[in-house]
Amino acid sequence: MKIYDMDNKRYMDIKEVKNPKTKVEQLSHVLHCFENDIFEIVYDKSQPALVKYIESLDQNILYQDGMQFLYFTSGTTGLPTGVFKTKKNSIKQAEALLKTLGDRKFNRVVTTVPFVHIYGVDIGAVVPKFLDIDVWTKENFLPEELAIEAEKEGTLIVTTPVFIKALNRIKKDTDLSGSFFLTSTAPVPKEDGKEFHERYKTSVSQLFASTETGLMAHKTDDEQILNTYEGVNISEKYSMLRVSSPFLAQKILKDGVVEDVKPPFQTEDIVEILDDKQFKLLGRSSNLAKIAGKRISTQQIEGIIEAMDGIDCALIKIRRDDRALKDEILDIYVESKEGLDAKNLRKILKEHFGSMNIAFKIFNNMKIVRSSVGKKIGFKEL
Amino acid sequence: MITTGELKEKLIAGLGLEDMGIDEIDDDMALFGDDGLGLDSVDAIELTLIIEKEFGVKIKDMSESENIFSSPNTLVAYINEQQELDKK
Repeated sequence: MKIYDMDNKRYMDIKEVKNPKTKVEQLSHVLHCFENDIFEIVYDKSQPALVKYIESLDQNILYQDGMQFLYFTSGTTGLPTGVFKTKKNSIKQAEALLKTLGDRKFNRVVTTVPFVHIYGVDIGAVVPKFLDIDVWTKENFLPEELAIEAEKEGTLIVTTPVFIKALNRIKKDTDLSGSFFLTSTAPVPKEDGKEFHERYKTSVSQLFASTETGLMAHKTDDEQILNTYEGVNISEKYSMLRVSSPFLAQKILKDGVVEDVKPPFQTEDIVEILDDKQFKLLGRSSNLAKIAGKRISTQQIEGIIEAMDGIDCALIKIRRDDRALKDEILDIYVESKEGLDAKNLRKILKEHFGSMNIAFKIFNNMKIVRSSVGKKIGFKEL
Repeated sequence: MITTGELKEKLIAGLGLEDMGIDEIDDDMALFGDDGLGLDSVDAIELTLIIEKEFGVKIKDMSESENIFSSPNTLVAYINEQQELDKK
C-alpha cells in the first residue's frame, strides 16, 4: 500500500513523523507505528484542554504492555477517558468490516477523516493496509471534490455524515455506483440516507461504534435496524446496550487510574434489542453532544461557563437540526446578574476546544431549577 | 451585485450564528482562525453550500477557496465576479 497526498499530488512514504502537523503526516506516522508494533498515543493536538489534560497525567501509566494505541474520548463527567487498544483489536475489526461489504472489490481508499481518532486510524488507515491498497487523503475536502473522487470505479470512501448531507445538497448529477461509502461518528438521518442512495446509485454503510467498543453494528442507507458485526454479542441493562467482542478495549484510563475492561462493556446507548444480531438505537442516556461528529460533554461546557465571572449557573440542552451539517446545537440557559456574552463565550470555548466552532444559542435571565439532591433538572424565565 | 450585508445575513442564518448581529462581523474580519469569526472546516463546507444555493456560485476546489474565504469582502468580490462571468 502507498499513501497519496492529494494536496501535493505525490506519494508519501510510511515513516516516523515526530510532530505530525497535517493529515498526511498523521497517516504516515500511525501506519509506521502499526507496521512496526510501536505504541503511540493518538489524540487531537489542536484541542488545548485535551493536550493540557494528557500532560497533567502520570506519564508512566500511559504506557501499558501489549497495547498499540491509546486514544482519548470525551467522558460523561467532563474529563477525557483514555482507551487502550491492541493491534489484534484493529485487525479483527477490519476482517469483520470487510465481511459485511460482500464481493465488492476496491482498488483504493479515499478518506476525509483525520487520523487522530479511532475511526480515522482503524478504518481510514488499517483497512487499506489490510487490503493492501493505496489510501488517498487531503487536508480539507469540498463535497464537489469528494464526488469527483467517488466517480472513479473501485473507490472506498471513508467519511462522515457531514459529507453525505453535503453531497445531497450540491447540484450534481452523477453515478457513483462504482464506489461505496462508509460513515461513522453519528447517524445519517433516514431521509438523507434514502436521498443519497437514490440520487447517486450507491450506498453508505453506517458504522455504529465507539472508541471503547470498536465496531458494534452497521446499517445501510435509510435502514433503521442495526446489524451486529461478526463476533459482537449484545445484551441490555436498563435498556442500555452492553457489548462483548474481540474489538473491545483492553484497558481504560479513567480519573488518572488504569482499569481492565471486563466484558460486557456497558454503553450509554439506549436500544431496543430485536434478536441476538439486531437492535434499534433509541437514544443516548449521557449528556454528550455530537457536534459534527465530535463528542463534547455538555457538563464540561456548563463547568466552563460557571467558572466565568458573574455566572451563577448554566444548563445546556441539546437541540437537533437534521438538515444542518452541524446537526446538534447547544441551547445554553444561564442564571446570572450580568448575562453571558456570546462573543466572550466563543473565545473561551476556543481556548478549550481549539479550532472547533460550536453552534449555540444563549438564553439569559433564567433561573435554573434543581432537584432536592442538587441536580439541574430544568429552567424558568425570570 | 450582492453586498457584504446580504452575505452576512446568509452566513448568520446558515451557520447557526444565532447570537451574532450583522454589525458584529466586520467586512475585513477573517472568517477562519482564532482572530476572526472562528469558523471551522465543517463551516467551510456549509459555506460553499450556502453560496451555491443563495447566489448560484459553485466553489469546486478547496485550494481556490482559501483566498476567497479570507473575509466577507473577498467572498463578496468573488461571488459578484462569478455572477458577472455567468451573465456573459
